[in-house]
Amino acid sequence: MRGTPPPPGPRILGASFRLAAQTFVADPQWLIPSIVAPVIFALAAYEMYRGSGPVLVLYAILGAGMMSMWGQTLYGSGWAIGQDRFLGTLEPVLGAPARYLWVVAGRVLWNTLIGLAGGALVFLVIAATYHAPLPLRDPLLFVGLFAFVIATLATVGLLFSALFVLTRYGGFIQNIGEFAFYVATGCMFPVVLLPFWTTPLSLLFPPTWALDALRYVGVPGYRGLSWGLLPDLVGALVLSVAYAAAAALLFERVVRHVLAQGTADEY
Amino acid sequence: MSTETLPLGSAPRSHPSLSRTFWVNARFAPRTSLGFMRLDFVLGTVFVLPFTQIVFFAYVAGLAGNPAISVAYVAVGNAVATMTYSSVFSVCQTTDMEKQQYTLEHLLVSPANRAALYLGRGLVPVLLSFLTVGVSLGYAVGIFGAAVAPGALLPVTISVLLTSVAMVGFGLLLGGVALYLRTSIILGNIFLFIGLLLSGANFPLSFLPVPLQWVGEALPLTWGIVAVRDSLSGTGWGPLLVAWAIVLGEGAASYALALGLWEVFERRAYRTGSLGRF
Repeated sequence: MRGTPPPPGPRILGASFRLAAQTFVADPQWLIPSIVAPVIFALAAYEMYRGSGPVLVLYAILGAGMMSMWGQTLYGSGWAIGQDRFLGTLEPVLGAPARYLWVVAGRVLWNTLIGLAGGALVFLVIAATYHAPLPLRDPLLFVGLFAFVIATLATVGLLFSALFVLTRYGGFIQNIGEFAFYVATGCMFPVVLLPFWTTPLSLLFPPTWALDALRYVGVPGYRGLSWGLLPDLVGALVLSVAYAAAAALLFERVVRHVLAQGTADEY
Repeated sequence: MSTETLPLGSAPRSHPSLSRTFWVNARFAPRTSLGFMRLDFVLGTVFVLPFTQIVFFAYVAGLAGNPAISVAYVAVGNAVATMTYSSVFSVCQTTDMEKQQYTLEHLLVSPANRAALYLGRGLVPVLLSFLTVGVSLGYAVGIFGAAVAPGALLPVTISVLLTSVAMVGFGLLLGGVALYLRTSIILGNIFLFIGLLLSGANFPLSFLPVPLQWVGEALPLTWGIVAVRDSLSGTGWGPLLVAWAIVLGEGAASYALALGLWEVFERRAYRTGSLGRF
């Protein structure tokens, strides 16, 4: 309603977080991208890497954990906007005084937590299957960086969500782009193995830097991007902040545009 | 206008012919009840997704350096496995879509022959699966160095076609289960990913524990991949005919089970009033 002051952001965030949790419980299909698929990818990679030593088993865990986080963070957040379009709830939500960015941030937060749980589950499944200690160099730092990777993914999810408000092709982009994102960010293998001309593209994504840092911390003898751990961390941090800022700016413009064009119900 | 009324239930019902039911469903299902059949999805599924999936697993295989799993081996396996999107994943959603669009009740009370109806729905997915694997095998051969034996074109074509038909049957089977469940998309997703693990697409089945090998051997995709690999490598007709027979058998069993399930779950849904639950 015109003139109604918007509710405080944290309140919207909390309400959106609660609703995302309830939707997750009511519609458990999100267990597939966040838990089932990554565990299967991890087991497939594990079988392929098994004869190649424990270091590559770590690759399987890291990669599948990352897939779990990607599945939940981006699928969950972006697909929710597609569902809003499909169910006809996007328009009223955009028209409400609450800022839509907070609504999406609440969903991203929930999905981030579930993605983190999925990543942990992947780790446990592989560790239990491997029957030998995994050669983690610094487990505590590893766990901290694991959380950092998902934070970088969340910023990607936030920015992509803004684009998904704009277009009805959100679901299409996610489905078709899934493996491309896995390849570009080097989630199951170092990006240095890819052709050199693809490196600048890979470096546009914060998770590429964060994952490289994670491998420097976790994988003994790892040789990834030549500049090493610290620049990896700085690069991931700078890019993540840039993504979050771009998302905040973009959301306002996109919401205004969609409301002006009357395309919020296009599906 | 006549004021004479017919007793309830005695109204004449015309039965559309089998071929009409088949073709109408073949034409309309992609626009109404099959999942992921928009043009953008179709183009992405045929051209983009197979490429990125093959690249992903090819790099994993390259890093693993396992002599039993060459890049070409993985490329061919995934090329065939990519048909799962347009066969199983898309087709199994047909029941969900009918439920969500509130058309399932109307469909089930219609006198249309069920077998013609479901076989018709499978036609476009069969063609799309065939096309997807054709393009994917092109990537596997042209980019990832999969070898092609002389005279392999005909057996490869037959293998892909039979696998497409069997996989669509498997998708319809999952769609039949969806009449009982609230949704089939979870089943479709599970089989989409299980195919990557248990079908031998990425590593030989012998790498798996024996019970999982049995599960893998029950999947039509597994034998489809065997048939395509045998066709490409020029293995003799003997093993190829065995693989084709198994693919065909599993496909026929899937169609029969799908129709049987529809009978059973349809009656159950009428009894419990759960026809439109999703």
